[in-house]
Formats: sequence, structure tokens, C-alpha cells
Amino acid sequence: MDNFLALMDGFAVATQPIYLLYALGGVLLGTAVGVLPGIGPAMSLALLMPITYSLEPTAAIIVFAGIYYGGMYGGSTTSILLNTPGESASIVTALEGNKMAKAGRGASALATAAIGSFVAGTIATVLLSFLAPVVAVFAVQIGPVEYVALMIVAFLTVGALLGSSMLRGLASLGLGLFIALMGVDALTAQQRYTFGSPFLADGIDVVLVAVALFAVGEALYVASRLRHGPIKVIPVTGGWTKWMRKEDWKRSWKPWLRGTFIGFPIGTIPAGGADVATFVSYASERKLARGENKLQFGKGAIEGVAGPESANNAAAAGVLVPLLTLGIPTTATAAMMLVAFQRYQIQPGPLLFETNGALVWALIASLYVGNLMLLVLNLPLVGIWVKILQIPRAYLYSGILVFAALGAFSVNFTPIDVIILLIIGVFGFFMRRYGYPIAPMVVGLILGPIFENQLRRSLAISQGDPIALISSPVAATIYVALIVIFALSFWLRRRQRQFESTDIDSTPSGPANDEVKA
Amino acid sequence: MSTIVVGYVPNSLGDAAIQEAVREARRRTASLLVVNTTRADRLVDPGYADSDDVSKLESVLRDSGVEYTIQHGVSEATAAEEVLDAAQATGAELIIIGLRHRTPVGKLIMGSTAQNILLAAKCNVLAVKL
Amino acid sequence: MSTSTEAVAGSATAAPGKRIGELIFALLILSIGIVGFVAGAGIQTPPSASDIGPRAFPFVVSGGLVLLGVCLVVQVLRGATGAAEEGEDVDPNVKTDWLTFAKLCGFVLLHAFLIVPLGWPVAAALLFFGAAWSLGARPWWRNLGIAVVLALILQFSFAELLGVSLPPGFLERFGVFGG
Repeated sequence: MDNFLALMDGFAVATQPIYLLYALGGVLLGTAVGVLPGIGPAMSLALLMPITYSLEPTAAIIVFAGIYYGGMYGGSTTSILLNTPGESASIVTALEGNKMAKAGRGASALATAAIGSFVAGTIATVLLSFLAPVVAVFAVQIGPVEYVALMIVAFLTVGALLGSSMLRGLASLGLGLFIALMGVDALTAQQRYTFGSPFLADGIDVVLVAVALFAVGEALYVASRLRHGPIKVIPVTGGWTKWMRKEDWKRSWKPWLRGTFIGFPIGTIPAGGADVATFVSYASERKLARGENKLQFGKGAIEGVAGPESANNAAAAGVLVPLLTLGIPTTATAAMMLVAFQRYQIQPGPLLFETNGALVWALIASLYVGNLMLLVLNLPLVGIWVKILQIPRAYLYSGILVFAALGAFSVNFTPIDVIILLIIGVFGFFMRRYGYPIAPMVVGLILGPIFENQLRRSLAISQGDPIALISSPVAATIYVALIVIFALSFWLRRRQRQFESTDIDSTPSGPANDEVKA
Repeated sequence: MSTIVVGYVPNSLGDAAIQEAVREARRRTASLLVVNTTRADRLVDPGYADSDDVSKLESVLRDSGVEYTIQHGVSEATAAEEVLDAAQATGAELIIIGLRHRTPVGKLIMGSTAQNILLAAKCNVLAVKL
Repeated sequence: MSTSTEAVAGSATAAPGKRIGELIFALLILSIGIVGFVAGAGIQTPPSASDIGPRAFPFVVSGGLVLLGVCLVVQVLRGATGAAEEGEDVDPNVKTDWLTFAKLCGFVLLHAFLIVPLGWPVAAALLFFGAAWSLGARPWWRNLGIAVVLALILQFSFAELLGVSLPPGFLERFGVFGG
């Protein structure tokens, strides 16, 4: 019950007018960046890092949480109305949602996505509220050896499973770890990889690298191969109150719940992010559909939007469990949330609930509030979100560059950081070009110093005996779990690939508006 | 035979402009040159006709019986420049455009295609209002 | 992230220039690993250190990079290229526009050199103006207008409201922005 009271205290904080305002700003911005092409939630968190210099922690974390959840909602709007490629977590939604929109049922698709996101987001946040403190209690008891094991799990899953090529993912992770080493060693005060430069003695700031990779790299990459030719938006007709028909509700509520309970667990384990959850949900909805509904799959089945969109949002909440209780980010956006905490000298981890309980519970409460706001905002405001797609690309990416330069300059208020920003940005450009995922590098950069610290502490305790790293029963269990996760995710991936090559490609792409039940 | 250049957008205003253009073409026994281009500098351009819009436009023009050409596609030039260039190249005697009400803020942020055409055109311009 | 198939499936159609570039990038990773080794040997280890010291982890990371670099070089040489990232605004079928890339890099660099002499708002407005021009936005006066407004809004909201000390440059003399 203690936790329940703490959560109520969190609500008391989060519902103060000023924090409601911050939450509103966050979810609006989050939805906007979710809708806008080329800007993701990870990039916008990186670009907004300068606000942490003067906002107090609660306000900043609430803004960031709003962006985090808002991005999930925004992504579904574009995938339903535009059928654009990119944003892997929304690919599955586009599959059925865009067909629905073409058949004139875009409004139903948008509504089931938004309401499903709300239902899933709320249930998953409840699960988070109850699960996270329990995990934290266990996590407090683990020592450096177990910590090392957990971080190896995080490194390998993020590095090896997130991208399409395992070698490239691990190389990206290694580069992140390498940059993290630059500067003065925390334990012995020795300079490492500074090459005699005073600018490198403090190391390269995480924010600088993140902004360079996420924002500058992306802007350069998009600029180098800009798409020419606009995409047609499918207009949404009718008032939003008539969006969901009785039958839509009947067909949607089960997929919402199933999506939630598929998405949340997948989010908590680092098994490849939200897109795995959406795929699993889509596949199971397709399997469970009966009769006429089953025939609609591939032509605009509402279950195929309701399930994956819920799974997507539930996974987003699930990701917060390892982030808040263990300090381990499993997605790029979670990594940026971790950086935001670190800006305030707060280290997410087992002790977070004890040392910064008020902040964490305010954050969790703001997730409930943000979800509600997103539901209210998204349904009637779809027209506005579609309008911002008309921002000319040149202004969008120029704006990103200006924000990136601002973020880089404000790290140390020296123009040299802007030059470093450019260098790492160009590096990020080539990483994208040659298929190296960005997220592992950022995760490596953030977790690298913590990992080394724990590793050295473990080895100091065992007096240099490396066997100690695997002989602890908890650590051994974690390594076994690692192997299981790997086996499972390879199996999932193979399924996904088979599924993509057989089902999606062979889906008859004839006129979508035939045979849609009135 | 003289030419009338029409700036077309796929909405009711554009349709009204086309109607008016057909009437003018009959009256002046002129041929129509319908211009609809995009700079493709954004993900979504509501002023750009897709293939459905173009085929609808073609059927309207075919039924009207006037001689017509459609200039449609992605271009580096702005919509106003395309219309003006087309008028210049064909020695058009008239340009027809749709004119909508715009808020002061809208005018401030986005320059007006219609205004550019009105100011820079060498021939008469007929602005169609809804 | 992207759900595209494993890179080994790579395309034989990839431009030869891109393959050379990819090879160079793999060699770069390899050489970072080698530099890491060489420089890592130069890290001083205090004799009193009770643990594995500041040198061990750099060696592990550098070793990993060397290993991965070698594997990547071999993979690229055998013809398996990476799947370039996809995106909503990215057209996979167009040629890389190196000129725009270079222009954008140039304007960021220029921005870095102008912050101190001209102040942040002017440097930022120039960056936006230049970048928008490089990306093909027109007409120029609208680009300029948006650039100036954006720079002033950012200067005001970050420097005045959030207390991020961006140098206002000569605008300070007009009393527009306080220090």
C-alpha cells in the first residue's frame, strides 16, 4: 500500500497546474515529432536536452515523458493516413490501417489506434506502477557481479538484436564504448585516449554525441537523398464522434487487451524493441480472427490496427521497467531519458525509488495524465497533425540543424563543441549510409562508464579472479536468460522474416474498397 | 488560336476555375493549358493533383469539348512561376486562377501564389472566387 | 530497427563507389581499434591500483573493435553490403547528393566560427538561411524571414527565459537582449 500512497503523492504533484502545462507541452511536441517525417522521439529528446540546464528535474522529466508517449501516438496517424515507410514500430499498423483509410474507414482506424493506445498505455502504466517497485526491491540486493551480467545482457541485446546486421550493431556498440573511455579515468585519474588535447580531457559529452548522431547525422542523411514527390494524404471525413461504430468497438476491445499483454512483457525484456511486439500482436490477431473478419486481413481489418497499436504503447511502458529499476535503457529513446536523469546527477537504478521516489512517482503519474491528454488531443485534432506534414522539408531539416547547434554549443559554451558535433554528425551520416544502427552506440556511450566501474569493483572484490563473474547464482541465471533471450529473438525474427516474405508480399493488392462490410 | 492558362488545384476552387476557363475558352475560341505542378519540397502537398484527380480533370475537359493540354508534374519552380512561364511561352491572352480568402497570419507566413501571378503577369488575369 | 533482411543478402546492384566507401568505413573501425591498442599501452597504471587498473577495459574494447573491423572488412570484400537506413523522407532510389551534403557541413562549420564574433542569434540565422538555401527552399526572402524570427525566438526563450547563456553578440548593444 505504500506504493499506492506514493503514487497518489505523485498524482498530487503531476496534477498541479504548472506540471499539467508541462505535460501538455510534452505530449503536443511528442505527437508533432511522431507525425513529422525524419524526427523521432529520441532525436527530439536529444535536441531538447538544453532545457535541463534550467528547468527543475520534475518539470523536465514530465516534458520528456510526454514526448516519449506522444511519439507513439503520432506515429500511428502517419502510417494510417500516408502509408509511409520508416518508423519500424508503425509498419504493421500501416499494413491494415492504410487499407482501411483507402476504403474510407480511416476515421475508424485512427480512433481504434488512439483508443487502443490509451487503453494499453493506461493498463501498462498500472502494471509499471506495481511491477517497478517490486523489481527495485530485488534489484537493491544485487551486487556488482550481477550488475555486470545485466549490462552484458543489455549490451548484447541492444547491439546484436536492434539492427539488421549483428556485426554492425556490435561495431556501433564498440564505438560508443570507445568514446565513453575518452577522458579521465574515474578511479585512478589517469588520462585515457585524450591524445594530449585539453578538450578531450573531460571526455566527449553524451549529449553532444547523441545530438550529433540523432539529429545532424539524420539531417545530412536525409538531405543527401531527399525524396521528391509528395505523398497523397487520404482525407478523413465525418465528425470524430461518429468514428467508432458499435461493431468497431466489438471487434477492437479484445485486440486492445491482447496487444497490451503481448506488448508489456516484450517491452520489459530487451528483445528488439517495440516492433517485435507489434509483429507478434499482428500475427496473433490474424490467427485468432474468424470467418469474415479473417478475410479482411490484408484488406483493412480493424483488429490488425487495434492489436499492434496497443502492443506498441504497452511496450513503451514496459521499457521503463528496466530503465527505472536497473538503469538499463533498451531503446534509443529510453537511453535519452537516462541521459536526462543523469543531467540532474540522478542515476536511475535500484536505489532510484528510495533516493528520488517523489520524482519517479510524479513521472509515473504524469504518464497516466499524458495518456489521457493524448486521447483527448488526438481524436479531434487529427486535421492539425496532418497539416504539419505540409512544412517544407528544407525548413524542417534546417530547423533541426539549428537546434542541434544550439544543443551542442550549450554543453560547454564553446564553439569547438559545434565542430565536434559536425564531425560526429558526419560519422553518423556514414553509419546510416552503410547500415550501422545508431542506438547501440548511444547505449554503449551511456552505460560504458557504469559498466567499467562495476566490472572493476567486482574484480577488486574477487581479487582479480574472473571466475567470480559467473559463479554467483544470480549472475549465472542472468547469463542463461541471455542465451534464452537470444534463442527466442532469433526464432521470432525468423518467423517475422518468413511472415514478411510470404504473407505481406503475396497479399493481394487489388482495390482495397471491395468487400468492406458496411 | 490563342491560349488560356489555368492554374489548377484539386479542390472546389480549382474546379470552379476550370468551369470558368471552359466558358472563357468557348467564348474566345481559345485552347486551355491547365497547369498543376509541385516543388515536391514537403511530404504532403494538398495543392498537387494525384493521378485520380488528373483523370477526373481530363474527363471534365474532354466532355467540355474545348481543346486542352495538361501540364502536370514535379518541377523546381514555384507554382506561380510555372503558370507565368507557361503563359509567356504560349503567348497566352488570359490567365485564370482561383482566389481564396486568406487570414493575415497566413499571408505573412506563406507568400501567395495568386498574388505573385497577379503582379507579374503580362496578360489579363481572371481571378475566380467561390 | 529496420526490419529488412540480414545484410548478407546484400545487393549486387550497389554502386561500386558505395562499396569502396563501406570498405573504408570498415577499415576506419579497424584502425580505431588499432589506435586504441597503441594509445591504450600508453595509459599510466598506478602501481598501487588494487583492481585491474585503467588499462584493461580499453584493451577489451579496442580488441573487440579490431576483431569486428576485420570481420566487417572481410564481409564487405566478399560482397555483402549493409542495408542503408530507410526513412519517410529518404528516397532509396536517388543518387547521393554530395553537393548538398557539403553545403550543409560548410554552413554548420561557418556557424561554429561566427558564434563568438557575431553572437549566437546572427550565427544561427545564417545557419538556417544557408541550410534552407542548400536544401532548395525558395524564395530567399522567406527563408531569411523565417531564419531571423527563429533565431530571435530561440535566443529569447533559451537565453532570457531558460537562462542558457548564449552570447547575444552586437544585439546586446541595442538593449534587445540582456547578458
